Amino acid sequence: MTPGTFRLRVMYRKDDRLAFLGHIELINTINRCVRRAQLPFRVGNGFARRMSVQFSQALPVGASSSCEYYDLALTERLDPSVALSLLQGATPPALAPVRASYVTETQGALEAWLTRARWEVELVGSTCTPQDLTSRVAEVSSAGSITYLRGEKEKTLNLREVLVGIFEVRLTDSGCAFVLDTRACPSGSLRPAVLVAATGLSCDSVRVRRTGQWHEAEDGSLVEPM
Amino acid sequence: MRAERENLFGLLEPLLSHVEKPSRYLDHEWGANERQDGPFHVCVVYADAYEVGQPNLGIAILYECVNEQDGMSCERAYLPWTDMSALMRARHVPLLSLETASPLASFDVIGFTLAHELIFTNVLETLDLAGIAFRTDERDEDDPFVFGGGPSAWNCEPIAPALDAVLLGDGEEGLVEMCACVRDAREDGVSRDEILLRLSRIPGVYVPSLYEIVVDESSTRWGYAVPRKGTGAPEVILKRCIPDLSATEPVPQRIVPYLGIVQDREAVEVLRGCARGCRFCQAGMTYRPVRERPADQVVEAGERGLAQSGHDELSLTSLSTTDHSQCAGILNRLNGDLAPRGVRVSIPSQRLDSFGVDMADAVAGSRKSSLTFAPEAGTQRLRDVINKNVADADLDTAARNAFEHGWRKLKLYFMMGLPTETDDDITAIVESADRVLQIGREVVGRGRRSKVQVSLSVAVFVPKCHTPFQWAGQLDPEEVRRRQSLLLHVPRDMDIRIAYHESTTSTVEGALSKMGRAGFELVRTAWRLGCRFDAWTSEFRYDLWARAATEVGIDLADVATEPFSLDARLPWDHTSPGVSKDFLRREWRRAVDCVTTPDCTRSTCVGCGVCPALGVSNVIAGERV
Repeated sequence: MTPGTFRLRVMYRKDDRLAFLGHIELINTINRCVRRAQLPFRVGNGFARRMSVQFSQALPVGASSSCEYYDLALTERLDPSVALSLLQGATPPALAPVRASYVTETQGALEAWLTRARWEVELVGSTCTPQDLTSRVAEVSSAGSITYLRGEKEKTLNLREVLVGIFEVRLTDSGCAFVLDTRACPSGSLRPAVLVAATGLSCDSVRVRRTGQWHEAEDGSLVEPM
Repeated sequence: MRAERENLFGLLEPLLSHVEKPSRYLDHEWGANERQDGPFHVCVVYADAYEVGQPNLGIAILYECVNEQDGMSCERAYLPWTDMSALMRARHVPLLSLETASPLASFDVIGFTLAHELIFTNVLETLDLAGIAFRTDERDEDDPFVFGGGPSAWNCEPIAPALDAVLLGDGEEGLVEMCACVRDAREDGVSRDEILLRLSRIPGVYVPSLYEIVVDESSTRWGYAVPRKGTGAPEVILKRCIPDLSATEPVPQRIVPYLGIVQDREAVEVLRGCARGCRFCQAGMTYRPVRERPADQVVEAGERGLAQSGHDELSLTSLSTTDHSQCAGILNRLNGDLAPRGVRVSIPSQRLDSFGVDMADAVAGSRKSSLTFAPEAGTQRLRDVINKNVADADLDTAARNAFEHGWRKLKLYFMMGLPTETDDDITAIVESADRVLQIGREVVGRGRRSKVQVSLSVAVFVPKCHTPFQWAGQLDPEEVRRRQSLLLHVPRDMDIRIAYHESTTSTVEGALSKMGRAGFELVRTAWRLGCRFDAWTSEFRYDLWARAATEVGIDLADVATEPFSLDARLPWDHTSPGVSKDFLRREWRRAVDCVTTPDCTRSTCVGCGVCPALGVSNVIAGERV
């Protein structure tokens, strides 16, 4: 961030049908929300003169979230509660900002700094039991790596790096659900749907919600974003 | 039978994760009118993908106009892309509106924007997905009324059998009157036929089913439309016209899309109409007279629109924005206010003179990627034929000015196949480009580092109704290909690049532009064979169109290339934008004689007939330069 600017971190939700927004669409939408809120945002000096804003790691299209973040560079130190209120009045409810506060300049770019994520994953329409699911994930995990197609590109992830673990495996009204913890690494991040596909378990659809994001410190402890 | 009005988003939602761009179908955009209480429900439809239809200003204007009415609600619908429509058909999901996800077939009125001829198969696709009968005479008493309007309403005959009523001209007041007519008539409990009769009494409204097509020695082979006896429908339907544009809302587009759309910006319509009189241009004839908004209104609207939407670009739209008499002042005021906020002002086209470049410079800031001019023809003779009142010197001066202002890439738009065109006119296109390139090198310097480049885009001319060239035949596709080859083989510098359009799309567009109601069978057959999204290069299937033509017993090139006699009654003579046929004939003769006609906003009246026919006049806010 440039000196004389203030880094406002905003936590927001991504819910309902807006879970289907792609990351670029989300960025454009938030940009417009900030402009509508008439916050004193900083404009970059590049060719296109864009707003200075950073986003947390892209959600898969279709995944909802209770804990997305963006860092907005402001040219004035506005009271965070005022900024939050202005943003709430200018943002679609399904992307509602829920918290705002200033953060220090020492943190790196938001996308790279938030390295740990928690997900709620539900296999809708699946008839598998929690035991099936647990053992299938264990089999996948023991293989050490996972290879999948991203578009037309084949990608391989080291599961020892990117898969932290699964918890709270349970039956639901519409299928079977679990909590998944993942770690973002330079080689990539594990998308919940990729893990589910690798288990070979069949279902009508996979419902995914990101419920937590943290920075993982060198000692392994988790640092709250705000 | 009318479908039940209910929110069916639950049927669509499971499909979203299986389609390419789910955000096309989400609704809930900022600014969308979520209050859809009715009880009279209208759905405006742009029969193309969301990203093409959403920026359409006509749709935005009508959406707001209807929603402002007590007791009326208006929603939007676009045509699902092929991946989604396949899934919808497989799961028996009907086409839904965006705002309430209600079946289109449950609405009281559905209004199509007929943006161009290549959208006609999409209109049928929309109706089919909605479960609404194609032909008006196949619809039930309580089925929705299907309206049409927009730029291609003037010769809507190839789609007319699918339209209950068509509004000609400005829609702000006319559509509301049409909806009120249907609502009141429904309350009166009258029959569908009686409602159609009532609609035909509204000025500017054409009800196709009340007209029959007569083919005789006075007409072309496509005939002409005459009112059926006893209907009392007018012989000629004169368009609707808003005399004072400043009396209308200058910021019609309040919906902010999530998806990147083709014109993703705030838009203010700064003027309507153009009197330059280019003889190939349908909009130039059908949107007359010229009506400017005053500068204060434009500036206020721009600021307000940006504050409401959060866009970072403001487009001052019209057929010819730099012709606005207060253009320079508007741009200066807006730039001063908006540039510090990282907001860019854009104008859709530049005049081919120094003023045009000055205006482009005023909006470009440091972003000078490329600048576009449209000389349209390579020689002065042919520019006189088409009444493009631009001399070689204008192009040279504008180009020099552009290079001096910092642009390095110029794009030049031309047309091929204009009436009286010869090979010399084709080779002159490259010569013009070469002259511009040399000017650039004089200003900037030679060598690759100067990065001076000229790009040519050469489209195939399609004669359109209600223009002085409406009697012309389109250039034969074989001859188009020969001239394209000639163009490519004229020796040229490596820094001149040429792009041209496929002749096949123009052939279909040309055929549909010439045909009367008989074109409906062609459109329907093409749709049945699988033609959709014909305006998309990736989707256009000439082989299917050619097959459809064979099935209905015509040859597309034969239809498109046929010239009409100046005395013939034409398939669109029953629609009138106010420009008299005598004026168009006179313009045709002047074209052949290479005589130009001035712009009536800068000189005297040229006698086009619009002002006396409509009881209106040009509204110029300042003095035009």
